[in-house]
Order: sequence, then C-alpha cells, then structure tokens
Amino acid sequence: MMKKQIFILLGVFLFTAALAAASHADEIELNYRLKWLFNTSVAGDIYADAKGYFKEAGLKVTVREGSPEKNAINELELGYADFGVASADQVIRALDKGAKIIVLAQLFQVNPMQWIYRADQPEIKTLADLKGRNIGITFGGNDETVMNTIFTKAGITKKDIKITGVRFDFTPFFKREVEIWPVYRNSQGVILKDKLEKEGEKVYFFNPADFGVNFVANSIITSEKTWKSRSEVVKKFMAALLKGWEAAMDPANEPDVLIDVKKRDKDPNDELRRLQLIATRELIKPSASAKIGTIDVDAWKQTETIMLNEKQIKQPVHVEKFLKN
Amino acid sequence: MLFRRIYQFLIVYSIGLLFLLLIKSVLSLSDYVIPGVGLIIETFHNVFDTYFFDVMNTMSVTVLGQCVSIAMAFGVGIAGRRSSWMGSFIKVTAYNIQAYPIVALAPIIFILLGDGFLSRLLIASMICYFPLLLSVLGIMATPVVDIEHFYIITGRMRWQLEVKIRAFENLSKLTTVISGSATLAMAGTIVAEFIAANAGIGYSIRIALYQSNLAGILIALFMIGIVISIYQGCLETLGEQIKTRWSVSKRGNI
Repeated sequence: MMKKQIFILLGVFLFTAALAAASHADEIELNYRLKWLFNTSVAGDIYADAKGYFKEAGLKVTVREGSPEKNAINELELGYADFGVASADQVIRALDKGAKIIVLAQLFQVNPMQWIYRADQPEIKTLADLKGRNIGITFGGNDETVMNTIFTKAGITKKDIKITGVRFDFTPFFKREVEIWPVYRNSQGVILKDKLEKEGEKVYFFNPADFGVNFVANSIITSEKTWKSRSEVVKKFMAALLKGWEAAMDPANEPDVLIDVKKRDKDPNDELRRLQLIATRELIKPSASAKIGTIDVDAWKQTETIMLNEKQIKQPVHVEKFLKN
Repeated sequence: MLFRRIYQFLIVYSIGLLFLLLIKSVLSLSDYVIPGVGLIIETFHNVFDTYFFDVMNTMSVTVLGQCVSIAMAFGVGIAGRRSSWMGSFIKVTAYNIQAYPIVALAPIIFILLGDGFLSRLLIASMICYFPLLLSVLGIMATPVVDIEHFYIITGRMRWQLEVKIRAFENLSKLTTVISGSATLAMAGTIVAEFIAANAGIGYSIRIALYQSNLAGILIALFMIGIVISIYQGCLETLGEQIKTRWSVSKRGNI
C-alpha cells in the first residue's frame, strides 16, 4: 500500500516537472547585467521582471545586479550576458579599444551625476561662481571628466579653485571641509538632502547639463553579434524592458513599484526609497511627453568630444554609428 | 636569494600574462576586456613614472607598517610566552582576535582617521601583525629544552637569555615569517589604498579600474611584484647574514 502511494506521488512529481519544463521550453533564456545594485535607479528593470513582461514576450530573463567591479561590456564579450547597462563613457572607451557593442536605448535623459551643496552658500548661477570653492571630485571617475570640461568651458584654472579627492564617505562634506560634493542625484543625493534637511539645512544641486555640458549616463547595450544575428530577440527584449520602465515611471503605479523594488533592495527605509523613485522619474522621464529610452545623439557626440579633449580616448570613435534606437 | 626571488616573480608574471593573451586570442576579445601586447607596452610608457612613485609611496607605508607589527608581535609574543595566567590570557586573546577579518574594520578606521597616511599604516600593520604574532608566540612559547636546561640548572637563566635562545634556534623560521609578512603588509597597504586612501599604487589601481584600464592594472601588478620581490629578497639576505654573523661572533655560544 505504502509502495503504491510513493509511486503515485513520484508520478505526480514527474508529471508536474515535465509540464513545467515544457512550459519553459519555448522561452529564450537571456542574461541581463545591470550597472548598479538593486535599488530605485533600476526600478524599470525590476518591474519588467516582476510583472512578467519578459515572460509575456517569450523570454526568460535573469536580471543580475551590478556593482563597481562588474562590467556589462566585459560580460557581453565573454558571453556571460546578452544585454547590459553601461554608462556612455564605458561604451566610448570600449569602442576606442575595439569592442563591438551597440547602444539600444538611453535610460537617463538627464545625467544623475551632479554636485550637492548647501543653500547657505552662494548659489551657482554661472560657472564663474565655482571660483574659490572647494570642489569634491572622484579621481578617475566620470565626474572628474565632467568637472574638467566645466573648468575648461568657464576658463577656470586649478589656481581658481580647490579640488579634493572624494570617495564613498561623506564625512568631509558633513564637516564642511568640502563645499561641493559629487553625488548620484537620485540615490546619494536624496539621502544627503534628507539628512541635511533633518538638521535644518537646505541644499542645492549643481547640474552640469544646466550649463550646456551634456554627458550621457546609463544606456542599454548588447553585442554587435547579438544585434545582427538575433534581431527578433533584441526587439522583444527591448519592447518588454521599455514597457517595464514606462510602467515603473508612471506615478499611478508608484506603490506597486515600491513593493517590487523593496523585495530586492536591502535598504529598510521606505520613505527614502519613495523619494529616490521620484528623483529617478525626473531623470528618466523629465517630461510627460518624453519617450523612455530615447537616444540623445547630440549628447552622445558631446560626450565623445569631452572624452577626446580629456584624452580619455585616443581617436574619434564616431559613436553615432553605434546608436541604434 | 635576491635574484632568485626576481626570477621566480618574472616567471610567474609571464605565465599569467601569456595565459591572458591566450584567452584573448582564443575568444577574440577586444583590447577593452584584455589588452594586447601593443597596448600594454604603450601603457607602460605612459604610466611608468607615476606608478613607480606610487609603488614607492606604498612601499614606504608597507615597511613602516611591518616594522610596527614586528615590534608589536615580539612585544606581545615575549609577554605571552609564559605558561602563567597572563601568558595564557594573551595567547587566547591573540588567537581569538586574529580570527576577525581586519579588512572589515577598514571603513571604520577611514571614517575615524580619514583617508590619510595613518589609516593606511594602521591597516597595513594590523593585516601583517596577527600572522606574525601567532608565529612569534609559537616560537617563544616552545622551550629549547637541551640548551635551556643547562642555564636553568646552573641558575643563570634570565628572560632575556630565554628569548635569545629561542630566537636564535628558530632564526630561519623567524626570517621566513618576517619575509613572508612583507607580502601581507604590502597587501594590507594596497587594500587600504584601494578602499579609501588618496595615494599609493592601490589608489592608482582603483582609478584604472574605474576606467576599465586592465593594461594599467597589469603594469601596476608588475611593479608591485618586482618591488616586493626585491624587498623580500633583501629581508632574506639580511636574515642569512644576521644568522651567520651571530653564530660566528658568538662562536656557537649564546
């Protein structure tokens, strides 16, 4: 009797497993490497996965968290990822070194890399207002490239300002040792603003784009090989992903998006997450009519010019040839 | 000894580099993922001066950090060699504390001390200190019965003499441990620079990583390897000379 029950149970198990396998058999498996950790800045990627948009498109996408050490371009070349997120400077540097990659969409329409400073200090209305200030820069980071471009544009020399190398620790900014501090507007920017406002201090953000310096941030990329040989898969993936981003940036879906992000984001502070989502929305979809993923070709060209002038690349790569929206 | 160290490093480095180039060739990878020989040579010309001074900067902290940790390890090792209550307490404490990953404390050290010289020195010393301490404790707590027995019987045994006997009888072991700890001190300094300092070769590696500049990282590794090989070779040669001189000047007597 007992034996019979075991056989029935085993049969049911095998049937269920076979059914599950068959239901996934038609799905195309893909790996998608993000640039940063799971948080609201990747809300659209998380939402597309959580709401089953990839599955609807017949795709089984594994969304992998990024970090400073993980590089989507390397993973595309090594075959560990099919799609990824990379910043424009990474893309241009890779093209300069012979990598074969294609940009499919530009996520951030406004670069989140900005500078925060206290409102009790003179507001930066013109670039000349930077003179005499102590400015934080991540040496080797793209904020250094952007700030150097600003200095060149404004005719500011190193004698006119004080530059301090910064890292992840905000203490020098809190202690007012550094006046203007580089932040990602939608993550660290929100945290710092919140902390200082709790202490009764207001803050401003210095956005280089307001002064004509457009340096593109994160974009969706794939390898040239995938783009050429699997164009249908690329179309399906992009349609599902951008659908996820459109839905995630819709204020009506905010509570739902926050629940899905919270499942993967380790930060326990719900209110901060909400504020970060609002800040992300302003960068991804700056106006109601803006279409998410639109590639700003002029901004890409300007990014390339900046990198060329800063000797970050050896020769022009003509990045516009690799932008396929 | 010195040249053998350098040869060994050059062989290991060349094998590693050839392996990378083989992968690049087999998988047809771009220079972005693995740089070609041309790019490595070009980068070497571009960064040699900067990286040389960076490595020297790191090396200075390493040497100082190692000296501090050797002094501390011998201080605590000598104090903890006894089988008394205090000796046992020191030994147990040392064994327990060393189990804690020092790198995990690094961010706290940087917040408290800032990203200057002191933080790097402290982290380098701490990473190098515990393995050294355990070896020194082991050596100092193990009696050299044949020799010590004579001095104990004749009533001439003093703690300085005891330490001298144990150090002399284990000089080869101590030299190896001290020489080996140089790598740990260097690693500690580089980790510190990588996490949050604003100088040294670890800091330059961090910048190269930001820019996905593997050629720069390979050059940095080459220079670190050469410098640490020279340093370790010098330490080993010094250890040999001390041993020879000690045994000659004392004619075998302590």
